[in-house]
Amino acid sequence: MENRRVQIAAQGLGLAAISYDSPAVLKAFADREHVGFPLLSDTDSKVIRSYGILNEGVEKGTFTYGIPHPGTYLLDAGGVVVAKYLFRRFGLAGEKREAVDAKYLKFSLAGGEGTLRPNQRVSLAVDIRLPRRMHVYAPGVTGYLPISLKLADSPAWTSDPVTFPAAKLMRLEAIHETVPVYEGRLQLLDTITLSGPQQIERLLDGERMLTVAGELRYQACDDRRCYVPETVPVKWKLKVLPFDRIRAPENLRRK
Amino acid sequence: MAKLGSRLALAVVAVCLKAAVPTGPNIGERVPDFRLMDQGGSDKTLRQILGPKGALLVFFRSADW
Repeated sequence: MENRRVQIAAQGLGLAAISYDSPAVLKAFADREHVGFPLLSDTDSKVIRSYGILNEGVEKGTFTYGIPHPGTYLLDAGGVVVAKYLFRRFGLAGEKREAVDAKYLKFSLAGGEGTLRPNQRVSLAVDIRLPRRMHVYAPGVTGYLPISLKLADSPAWTSDPVTFPAAKLMRLEAIHETVPVYEGRLQLLDTITLSGPQQIERLLDGERMLTVAGELRYQACDDRRCYVPETVPVKWKLKVLPFDRIRAPENLRRK
Repeated sequence: MAKLGSRLALAVVAVCLKAAVPTGPNIGERVPDFRLMDQGGSDKTLRQILGPKGALLVFFRSADW
């Protein structure tokens, strides 16, 4: 994050990170790591709770209670969520990937960074940017191909239904119809649950990477005409380690 | 046999919990406001964090562990 701070600021974006640490702990970390952006102290996890991301799977009464489910929100100038990224590893958010030029739009893939373990859930995102005057159609439209993201079937994962943002209604005067569309930026999020180690091991390559492949389909139109539907292959590579079987030192173990 | 039963029960509970991991405010929603102290001891609100094009807001586990 700190490495990207200047680039982020150059895009006109603010940057802040929130945790349940005290300001003193945050200062020690910031000084050590030369962090140049605000680290915000939410010691009683009030803000974490207000965002609905308190990790309730952690045991109350232990020092770990109060941590959030980690994630990053990309907000517009009005504080409205444009995109969100949920990482399984509990560090600061990973880096934004390169944008891919596809026909009529650009997109980048995110999610699945860090190391994962069998049975974990991970969110995979397609962040799309449409040029001005270009739009694509939202699910539920008739007569046009709606935008869709479909992952290949695999024994290595099961996919939740893809989440789509709220669509805008556009009036098409030529045909006297109002249709649901997306313009500008949008994010499609596909959260998958990795299968057990038996199903995954067979499908890993030599570096323990699992390829999750899919297709992005859409039909782009500008204010004058519609173009032929496009199908673009997309793929994420996830690093999957076996279950962590490291035990506590012998003298500390329960007998 | 008893151990297997409790292992299965634990696995079922784990799957149910995992299926309900909350992800916070949705795309298109405005996030809640806040006023929190930063590492330098000054208060920052959401409005102060937002830049002309928006902001990246990162929630992380801890700077300590």
